[in-house]
Amino acid sequence: MDDELKGAIRKVLPDVDCVIGWGPGPDPLRSAPFFMRKPEEVDAFVVGPLAVNNPAVFLPEYKGKKVGIVVKGCDSRSVVQQIAEGLVKREEVVIIGFPCSGVVDIQKIAAQLGQDIEPGMVTSLSISSDKLTVNVKDTAKTMDMADVRADKCASCQYPNAVVSDEFVGTPKEGKTDDYADLAAFEEKSIDERFAFWEQEMSRCIRCYACRNACPLCVCRDHCVATSREPHWLNQADSTREKLFFQLIHATHLAGRCTGCGECSRACPVGIPVGLFKRTMTRAAARLFDYQAGTNAETVPPLQTFATEEPTIKEREW
Amino acid sequence: MADIAKIPVYSPDMANPYMPYVATLKEVIRETHNIMTFRVVLDDAEAMKNFRHEPGQVGQLSVYGVGEATFVINSPPTRREFIQFSVMRAGEVTSALHKLKVGDKVGVRAPLGNHFDYNAMKGKNILFVGGGIGMAPLRTLLLYMFDNRDDYGKISLLYGARSPEDMAFSYEIEEWRKTKNTDVVLTIDREAEGWKERVGLIPNVLLEMNPSPKDTVAITCGPPIMIKFTLQALDKLKFQPEQIFTTLERRMKCGIGICGRCNIGDKYVCVDGPVFSYAELRGMVDEL
Amino acid sequence: MPGNKFLATADVAAWLGELSKTMRVFAPRNEGQAVVYREFDAAKGLELRRKPTESAKHALFPRSEELLSFSYLRPAFGAPEKEGETPSDVSQVQVKMPVEPMPTVVFGMLGCDAGSVTTFDPIYDGSKFKDVYYLKKRQATVFIVRACAEVLSTCFCNWVGGDPANTKNADVLATELSDGWLLQPVTERGEKALTSPLLKDAPAASEGQATAIHDNARKSLGDAPNLEGIDAALFSLFADNDFWQRQSAGCLACGTCTYLCPTCHCFSITDETSARNGVRLRSWDTCMASLYTLEASGHNPRSLKAARLRNRVGHKFAYFLRNNDGQISCCGCGRCIKSCPSSVDIRQIVKDALVQAASIAPPPPPQPVAPAAASPKPAAPVKGKGRTKEKANG
Repeated sequence: MDDELKGAIRKVLPDVDCVIGWGPGPDPLRSAPFFMRKPEEVDAFVVGPLAVNNPAVFLPEYKGKKVGIVVKGCDSRSVVQQIAEGLVKREEVVIIGFPCSGVVDIQKIAAQLGQDIEPGMVTSLSISSDKLTVNVKDTAKTMDMADVRADKCASCQYPNAVVSDEFVGTPKEGKTDDYADLAAFEEKSIDERFAFWEQEMSRCIRCYACRNACPLCVCRDHCVATSREPHWLNQADSTREKLFFQLIHATHLAGRCTGCGECSRACPVGIPVGLFKRTMTRAAARLFDYQAGTNAETVPPLQTFATEEPTIKEREW
Repeated sequence: MADIAKIPVYSPDMANPYMPYVATLKEVIRETHNIMTFRVVLDDAEAMKNFRHEPGQVGQLSVYGVGEATFVINSPPTRREFIQFSVMRAGEVTSALHKLKVGDKVGVRAPLGNHFDYNAMKGKNILFVGGGIGMAPLRTLLLYMFDNRDDYGKISLLYGARSPEDMAFSYEIEEWRKTKNTDVVLTIDREAEGWKERVGLIPNVLLEMNPSPKDTVAITCGPPIMIKFTLQALDKLKFQPEQIFTTLERRMKCGIGICGRCNIGDKYVCVDGPVFSYAELRGMVDEL
Repeated sequence: MPGNKFLATADVAAWLGELSKTMRVFAPRNEGQAVVYREFDAAKGLELRRKPTESAKHALFPRSEELLSFSYLRPAFGAPEKEGETPSDVSQVQVKMPVEPMPTVVFGMLGCDAGSVTTFDPIYDGSKFKDVYYLKKRQATVFIVRACAEVLSTCFCNWVGGDPANTKNADVLATELSDGWLLQPVTERGEKALTSPLLKDAPAASEGQATAIHDNARKSLGDAPNLEGIDAALFSLFADNDFWQRQSAGCLACGTCTYLCPTCHCFSITDETSARNGVRLRSWDTCMASLYTLEASGHNPRSLKAARLRNRVGHKFAYFLRNNDGQISCCGCGRCIKSCPSSVDIRQIVKDALVQAASIAPPPPPQPVAPAAASPKPAAPVKGKGRTKEKANG
């Protein structure tokens, strides 16, 4: 599939400013966003379980230029939502899709490696369809792909690009998402849940990687997180302010989040901030029967209104 | 909790450079629809008596609860009954300052930064080119030179604003004109009723004025775009980079070279500036 | 060496507990998937193998810190109670200075983290201005540095003058041996910190064992490239927009790199109020954010992320050098690489810059034409400690 994808990239390259995909990263366990402009650069293109980043986050920067983008199923949903919201123009993007078998979660690899070996000590790795083998110094450690795949992959409904101009490979069957993770979390009492978030958010360093890694976070340079006008958040290193930002962020993404998981992945201190958005996503599904990033023609439910929402019985309250 | 009177006041070499002097607004002048001038006196009489600054130096003015912002001290060191700042309303702190009245208290951390080397300019002709609020830093040096009039040759001032209503210090320009061996040229961007002075953008008027670079120092300040084209005009008039000085603006927080944001390459506007010669600017990275 | 102490593995927590009685003790521990420096709490454990996700800089430079606090005697921003009264009447305000810092020990900080203090000191302890908030903490803090037995693929302290067993700015060097820790005092202050009866005189062989561990770590770092001329290279590439756009293409412009960085020292100052009370806060800020340089007028000298990445790399490998005797303000801890959500690698940028600069600036011809007024910066770094202030118009 790699070679076929490279062929597809080379094919669209003459018509676009660049093609965004994945390339070699700084260490064996990571790839990096990759911006291909010349055919020879395509040789280093990387795909597979290490193609973790969501390249859609960069698309709005290229407004006015035509770019190509290689997308996993989840990434394609971000692109679709960007198009639906007018952040990206359909005619300015050439979408190259492929069937995705899931990507790794480096924190899960870390857990498999155990306490004394860090991911940064891995010198090389090899991947087969269901196994991942890493070499640390002279020893090799093999783990099941199932144990190191990102959480989102276990409930992936759209492993193939939702929309694509070029599709390489045989489409895969999607899974269902029953929100079991949320249900498990909600088993806890309100107090326990709040204590959990207080503990987690206390180590937030306010770097806003969660925000900037989000392909649908549109305010960025004008975000309430640091703006003084409006002055909604203060700069004190307090859990309250940090949690407040997450609630604002999640609310802004209600009915827009496609569940790419980049906010959680980007967090340098491992706070599962994606959970907030998943709650909103489930609510959007239940209330409006809406799934963001699956149809560029629809209007997101919170960007419009109906005088009488069929699922919200206001008058019966 | 310490009483405010017992808090040590600010001076550059004192224990805590983040602690402002407490000062009282003695006079508030509305200059234009968005510029106000504040004349402040430090509450600590001793500190006020000992307060010294040089033309071009800046200060951090603060409203407790809103924050600090940087402004040039635009009263000359030769007139020390108050410390004057002119503030254009643009952001949070400036908006809060604009709401203040005579008698209100502010925080002052000053003086900060470098200054115009008025000694090296002695005996020379001086050409001031100011645009809008950029007149404020020039005013300090201009008045200093008026107060030491015989030390300098001919003084020419080209001062431009968008419209007559946007011209700060309009009430004292006649006095400037009357000072001996001084030329004042005023310009606005577009014709306006009753306006008898020049009309046109500052760099164009400057070219029309055609000042000689001989034995002359040019000092310019204004919005970045005006500075850019004024420097080009001075270049056309054969002024050498060493003859041209400007003061730069940059977002600042600490004002003492620590917080990091006002750097232009390896230079910090707050301590290495705000005054730079054009020769120095050309040796710096191009990030204005 | 006399003064060397030995702390049995089983006694580490007990010793830190003992220190905690009179000092603030920072030590690394696991929290979620991260390793963070927190005040020691025996119940929450220690993590002395894995490398901390964050640096220990917050011991000296907290994420947010009160510069002063004030409290209005009536509502600060409510309606004036009397005609002529304004909310900003600070004659009715009380201002409070922050309290003196507690004596502190940072246990188990890495050599790179200790090395980074070398870049803080000249800025916060400048020739003209002294940052009292920093200096008081600095004077009250003992650094117990933990030598690295293992290095990660993102480690590059040896590129920038660091060492896995760095003792620069350290008061004690701690090395984990098979059954405990060898504690080697580096300073008198370090020696004084090692008085507990839990600490035994170190056996003679332990120093050799520690040295072997240090050497092994040094070896595994591999060879460092020659970074000579990196400052000149970065200055010469300043206007190469294409270079910086390529380098920053994958950057998300978040603050992860700068907030995890032990040498990043930039901050914002904001007034934060709640009802009648307020504080003037100093909080971490990042040059990777657009708002960092946005002026009230709307003008922004670094509105593009390419300009901001250029500033971050430039600051560490060019600007700081010019003001501080050629000192690179990167300690090579690699956190910015390891935790970057977009895998931006500052090592690669630096290497690319050297190559790119060499390709655009061939060696000068034997007889150069008269240089223009805009001559390049002097190649030699500025002499003298701290930033030398030059008169702009002297």
